[in-house]
Amino acid sequence: MSHDLSSISAAIYREARLLDQKSWKEWLLMYEEDAVYWAPGWLNEYDLVDDPDRQVSLIYHTNRGQLAERISRIQSRKSITALPLPRTVHVISNVHFLDEKQSPALVSASFVVHVFDPRTAREHCHFGHYEFLFSLSGESPTIASKKIILANDRIPTVVDFYSL
Amino acid sequence: MTSESAIGSLLIDRPQDGIFEVARRAFTDPEIFALEQKYIFEALWTFVGLETQIPRANDFLTTHIGSQPVLLTRKSDGSVGCFLNTCRHRGTIVCPFKHGRQKFHVCRYHGWAYDSDGRNTAVTEEADGQYPESFRDKNRDLIPVARLESYRGLIFASLSPSVPPLEEYLGQAAHFIDLIVDQSPVGQVEFVPGASSYTFDANWKLQFENGLDYYHFNSTHSSYVDILKNRAVSSNADLPREDSAERVGQGSFSFPHGHAVNWSIKQVSAYGRPLSNDQENLNRLTEQFGRDRVKWMLRQRNLTIFPSLQLIDISSSQLRTWRPLAPDKTEMTSHCIAPVGESAESRRMRIRGYEDFFNPSGLATSDDNVMYEYCQTGYVAEAGNTLGYLRGLGSDPVHDGPHANEVGITPDEYAFGAPTFGGETNFHAGYREWHRLLLNAGQKI
Repeated sequence: MSHDLSSISAAIYREARLLDQKSWKEWLLMYEEDAVYWAPGWLNEYDLVDDPDRQVSLIYHTNRGQLAERISRIQSRKSITALPLPRTVHVISNVHFLDEKQSPALVSASFVVHVFDPRTAREHCHFGHYEFLFSLSGESPTIASKKIILANDRIPTVVDFYSL
Repeated sequence: MTSESAIGSLLIDRPQDGIFEVARRAFTDPEIFALEQKYIFEALWTFVGLETQIPRANDFLTTHIGSQPVLLTRKSDGSVGCFLNTCRHRGTIVCPFKHGRQKFHVCRYHGWAYDSDGRNTAVTEEADGQYPESFRDKNRDLIPVARLESYRGLIFASLSPSVPPLEEYLGQAAHFIDLIVDQSPVGQVEFVPGASSYTFDANWKLQFENGLDYYHFNSTHSSYVDILKNRAVSSNADLPREDSAERVGQGSFSFPHGHAVNWSIKQVSAYGRPLSNDQENLNRLTEQFGRDRVKWMLRQRNLTIFPSLQLIDISSSQLRTWRPLAPDKTEMTSHCIAPVGESAESRRMRIRGYEDFFNPSGLATSDDNVMYEYCQTGYVAEAGNTLGYLRGLGSDPVHDGPHANEVGITPDEYAFGAPTFGGETNFHAGYREWHRLLLNAGQKI
């Protein structure tokens, strides 16, 4: 039986909205306990890091607790990067199955995250592709894995989970 | 034009009176920036790559010396070549790729070709070109850099023929390169694939200073310190400890040509180290190099090679370089540097530690980058010189420890203090060298 793309799209849009609204707690709950959150680096002009234990990633987390650490860091109001936090607008498009037969379902989406930093009145955007593994066993889809392929990887000053 | 007296007043260097001051415009003035590019970044030794990045004939990578693009190659005879990456015909970048392997670099504009030795091997349709007689004898090869040398697999190049030999330039700072390279069973270091590149909107000297600066750690990185504390509670790792008789604290050494290293001694490593995780390698190292050197391999060390290289060996290890783009914009390139031949588990730990700390997406470097921008904004205020280079200048400096002897060095500057010392005298060597070079420049313009 094939999965319902509309419910998965809704979950992806919801995740984006929770990030933009800084609803960290609800955002975190969209992830499974042992979720993989991975923003691989680039090896060269064409190839992505594909072995996180032998190559360096921008971010590589293998459980929800590590995402919770990132949240606690910015919530502590001690991290300079969060004083103040930038305003973000996630724009998601091109949601489609890469493999709808497999479970969890493999889904791709394109993203553009516009970032406005009130500290400097500077704006920039990060863009690329997401690859999600969604578990569909529960009431609503949960994220088993999110891979963030950042196309523009010369990073202005800082990038974090809320601006990807 | 910047006058000599304007350059003279950039640094007030009277440590005997408790004064060491850098003028704020050193961070903001476009004329100073232009002088730095020409008389510092394009006049000294610049780190351009590791031997292990280009192991085979015809391997190449591209980088910059100051603002000038260069091509680093492994030549056909196995030696290393470094050339200005610009076609002799019309100036085009000959090699537009970051790294790769190819025997010939063919300019895309008119098809002139060069080999890995930099030799011009083809001028397209030369016979039909009705070239003047003089062209036949004209050298058309890629222009090699003036000087190119390696130290322990780290390749440096210079556009100036008058730099001292590399080993002389590095001096005793090289001991701290050895402390990294010697960790490898085969005496080689490599970059873990996946370099990152980022920018910050601030002067390059903010990065230069930050690498020398332990004072900022607990305040700038307090959110990271909290995370480390939480993790330590849940960790029961049996980590190597310093001898209980060892005095804990922070210290620094400075060397000629502006290099410096700061280091800290803690009873317990703040965290597991890739090296401390590999008992077999530790035993081998102790046998080969003795306890003192292994002790120093396990200590936190931040090495600054003036003007644009920092090597950090803490819970992970980083080699970072910077390229100033404007007085208030700097491009950073950051690599995870690692001993060739370490265990898979040590490597994994090194990579996780690196991502945690060093990336612009990490939990610590990101705070530094933002802080540089706050400094840059603050420097615009005409509030007189800052008080940022005085810790350690008191009348009773501690420099009687065993530390320099253990490493086998006789540094120009040697400071040691409490674990919260945060000494700043190790900034002085770099600023003195910076000022000396600018004063020389002032005499030339």
